[in-house]
Amino acid sequence: MSLPHTLRASVTPPELELIACQQLVDIVPLIAMEKTAFISGAYGPLRPPHKARIPLWMAVTLKQKKKCHILAPEWLTVEYLQLKLTQETTQAEFTKLPFRFAELSRVMLDVASDDLQNPDKLRSLLQDLREARQAKARAGLENLEHSALGLSNLSAMEINEIRPFFIEAMAILGRLQPGA
Amino acid sequence: MSSVASWEAEYLRSKESNATSAPSFSHRGLSAPLEDDLLIPDVQLGEPLPEETPLEQLTRHWMNERHAPDILPAQDVLLGSILDHIRRQSDTIQLLRGDPSTSEEEHIRIMLAQTEVERVQFVVRSYVRTRLYKIEKYARYIIANEDVQTRITTAERDFASRHANIMDRHFYSSVLQSLPESQAGLDDTPHFIMPPMVTEPETTRAVFAHALKRTIARTPEGKTIDLPKGSLTLLSYAAVADLVAAGEVELV
Repeated sequence: MSLPHTLRASVTPPELELIACQQLVDIVPLIAMEKTAFISGAYGPLRPPHKARIPLWMAVTLKQKKKCHILAPEWLTVEYLQLKLTQETTQAEFTKLPFRFAELSRVMLDVASDDLQNPDKLRSLLQDLREARQAKARAGLENLEHSALGLSNLSAMEINEIRPFFIEAMAILGRLQPGA
Repeated sequence: MSSVASWEAEYLRSKESNATSAPSFSHRGLSAPLEDDLLIPDVQLGEPLPEETPLEQLTRHWMNERHAPDILPAQDVLLGSILDHIRRQSDTIQLLRGDPSTSEEEHIRIMLAQTEVERVQFVVRSYVRTRLYKIEKYARYIIANEDVQTRITTAERDFASRHANIMDRHFYSSVLQSLPESQAGLDDTPHFIMPPMVTEPETTRAVFAHALKRTIARTPEGKTIDLPKGSLTLLSYAAVADLVAAGEVELV
């Protein structure tokens, strides 16, 4: 078939990762490169040791060839995530995090953990955040009604996780209250 | 030298095309019905939508298409320009690959350009396949419905009618020809609990809508839902279908 079964209900995490990798990150290049036109825009010039801003996929490719260091975004630090975790566990609503923080942090921790400070602590904080937010999202299901549900500050990966269940629940509520 | 010149030319071209493909917001505003403006006085109509590169636009349309239950308006102009861009970029890569004087630094550029071409091709393929899937699924609905036909390209319309035709012939030769004539139709009006025989998009299905500017959704029951800029709402697709087509809301 034109679209495999597994892709029909929702997008997959690798696809979300592909989209997230288009976002720009700061790097310190270890090679020089002239300003170059790519399909998504022009990037460069790379002049070590000056910082440059390029898409994450490009940074990942260069990093894997040991041609750059990726600089952690300001939200991917132990202090920041610690603060967010405290907010997350004390407030009723979701704290504001970058929309694609799950994908971005995963990619960066996978390929550039040596460029990050205290990657193990980062991993465990991200995991704690994820669990706290997941519990909230499930509790939010109680507020589901058939017309609309505000879900501000939920991230792309979290939406994807709850999507099948929430959509089906909405459909059933809609059938129970026709025209209400 | 020739290789550098072609990168440069590409850079200039990409700048030009960015300038000409600016969001046609004013254009849409002109064709919108007048009463739209009168009913929502508290929305700032002059607020511009965020500027997007062609690839960002395509990614947005790809995700919209994946999440929307119905088939969305075709983006053939955008798709055409991206395909042209892929072709030009691939040509440049081929040219540089064949050049023995290519330096080490140039090799990395080539590799990065090649990686990007593959990433963009993935998005293009997935986008086209998603539309094909919907066309196959709703083929009979599409050929019977002129409103949907305005949203698809000529090639897609031909494909829909050929697909519907083949399916009809298959159903007829495998089953329907052996049934009494009164039961051999493929578009009978459904009985009260039976699903309709022509598969139609389930437009009331819930979607996650991300508002790119402040706007207002209207549910089919007539309720209005305020969508502040940047908000994320789970609601019926029918309430945001027009906003998705206008680019004011994206599905995530």
